[in-house]
Amino acid sequence: MIEKFDFKSSELERDAPKEMMLLSIISQSFFQPFSLEDNLLVTLTALTSGSGVGFNRAMLFLREGDRLKGEMWLGPGSAQEAGDIWEVLSTPGIGYIEIVEHNRALVRKNEDTLSRRIRDLVYAAGEGNALIPALASCRKEILLVKGAREEPLVDRRFLDIIQVDEFLCIPLLARDEVLGEIVLDNAITRTPIGPGDIKLASLCGLIAGNYIYSAGLHRKLLDMEKTAAMGEMAMFVTHQIRNPIVAIGGFADQLLQPGLPEDKRERNIRIIREEIHRLEHIIFQMGHFLKVSLKEPVYFDPAPVISSVLDSPEVQAKKPAYEMRVELEDGLPRLFCDPTSFGEVLRNLLDNAFDATPPGGRVSVRGYRKTNGWYVLSVRDTGKGITNPDKDRLFKPFFTTKEKGMGLGLPFIKRVMDTCGGQVEVRSRVGGGALFKLYFQYREGE
Amino acid sequence: MNKRILLVEDEKPLCLLYEEELSKEGYDVTAVTDADAALEALDKDPFDLIVTDIRMPGKDGIELITHIMGRRRDIPIIINTAYQSYKEDFMTWAADAYVVKSSSLDELKAKIRQLLDR
Ligand SMILES: Nc1ncnc2c1ncn2[C@@H]1O[C@H](COP(=O)(O)OP(=O)(O)O)[C@@H](O)[C@H]1O
Ligand SMILES: [Mg+2]
Repeated sequence: MIEKFDFKSSELERDAPKEMMLLSIISQSFFQPFSLEDNLLVTLTALTSGSGVGFNRAMLFLREGDRLKGEMWLGPGSAQEAGDIWEVLSTPGIGYIEIVEHNRALVRKNEDTLSRRIRDLVYAAGEGNALIPALASCRKEILLVKGAREEPLVDRRFLDIIQVDEFLCIPLLARDEVLGEIVLDNAITRTPIGPGDIKLASLCGLIAGNYIYSAGLHRKLLDMEKTAAMGEMAMFVTHQIRNPIVAIGGFADQLLQPGLPEDKRERNIRIIREEIHRLEHIIFQMGHFLKVSLKEPVYFDPAPVISSVLDSPEVQAKKPAYEMRVELEDGLPRLFCDPTSFGEVLRNLLDNAFDATPPGGRVSVRGYRKTNGWYVLSVRDTGKGITNPDKDRLFKPFFTTKEKGMGLGLPFIKRVMDTCGGQVEVRSRVGGGALFKLYFQYREGE
Repeated sequence: MNKRILLVEDEKPLCLLYEEELSKEGYDVTAVTDADAALEALDKDPFDLIVTDIRMPGKDGIELITHIMGRRRDIPIIINTAYQSYKEDFMTWAADAYVVKSSSLDELKAKIRQLLDR
């Protein structure tokens, strides 16, 4: 017998040992679609998630060039607040996304008072004679400080802020390079830091260090891809824009010449109009694609967005020529995506379906829950389908088989789905139509 | 007899524009929209000059030139394209002129006259 599990099953049950919970949550930062700040904040939250295992407060320094700079400080301001936070975190079934949302709310509410206090703490990162907390990073060693007030190696300014006698400094290392440091303490419960705590925290530090490292690599890679794509793009855009402009100029010149017969005048004006339409379309598509950053995903009700796309004049104009089907499972859940991008994604899929399908064909939109925790929105058509070599290039910018295509629709969709941690899947056979499936994270409606 | 021009241009409005404007100059113009049709036309009829785009679906203009060089070295070729950058591609040196498409056809017309009067 073979049993299959997807990666959602790596989310542990609540009764799992606390240590495992902690490591499981922190290691998820590698594949969650959130910003570096959001993901690191989750790591700090996990480290401070309550009595038993875990600390009361966690402070994060990040390496910037040759300096180590205070970034975030997470923890309750009082015993009362501590109780509140620990209660939220021990809600059964709480997942990564909930922790991110909880953190964002908390940071908003407290205007991040703790973090503000450490933002102007800056240390030189490479010096051998640095003071604590920077000393841990310089030596690449974990340092447990007790009786801090009597210890001359502790920076006094730092001590004034943290105001505890006992704390733990964990450098964040990857490839033997220091990327940051975490300082942990038990300011509220005053529990001494034990060997078990140190082991666990050092493991978390390794994971967080490697996460920061891989996030940096990922960013560099994206930048490189962008530069390469820019060259391609400049070429393509020159071509796509110059051609309609030449046509508009040329036919306009003819209009200016005396003695052009009436039927040709009309034809020229029609061509000019069409070419201007085309320019507009190009500019619209470019605008979409070039959006520097997409809006953050949120849980939203997709029903009104889907209706507005289906009721848009462009879709309504196509409808009579096709057999159009829309089947959405009762009780639409809330989907995790930016609502505007979601609408644009659906619109792009429908445009492609209509383009590929001759009039009389069928275009269907379906929405349903999968058992493995995804919500699927699919667009299927009965059009010409996609050849195998083309399938590999579908999501590359500027890949198009249409005379007036831009090849930016599917790359845009890919970007949106990456941003919200979803997926796109394509199935198609030549002549057998195409099926595009979008997988979204979802939550039942509130 | 009028001089005969073979025009290869995949964009339909542009194809129409060039065809009309070059006919007005007194040339016999045969317009085709891809490289394969161009090779076919070349086998059938004699031409005095070829005007071709570079980026086209299917065989592109550079492949077309390569094919033509293999058969008929005597027909002058003008590249007429939206791209400035292909000038650096050494195969385009094989062409007799390189014109960047512009909304005024004066440069193209002048190059054609020059090459045909030679
Ligand atoms: N439903 C579909 N059926 C067949 N081919 C498709 C479909 N959707 C996309 N394609 C192919 O993918 C290419 C890229 O699509 P897209 O990125 O939206 O750009 P564009 O629509 O401008 O060509 C299309 O030119 C087409 O060849
Ligand atoms: Mg498209």
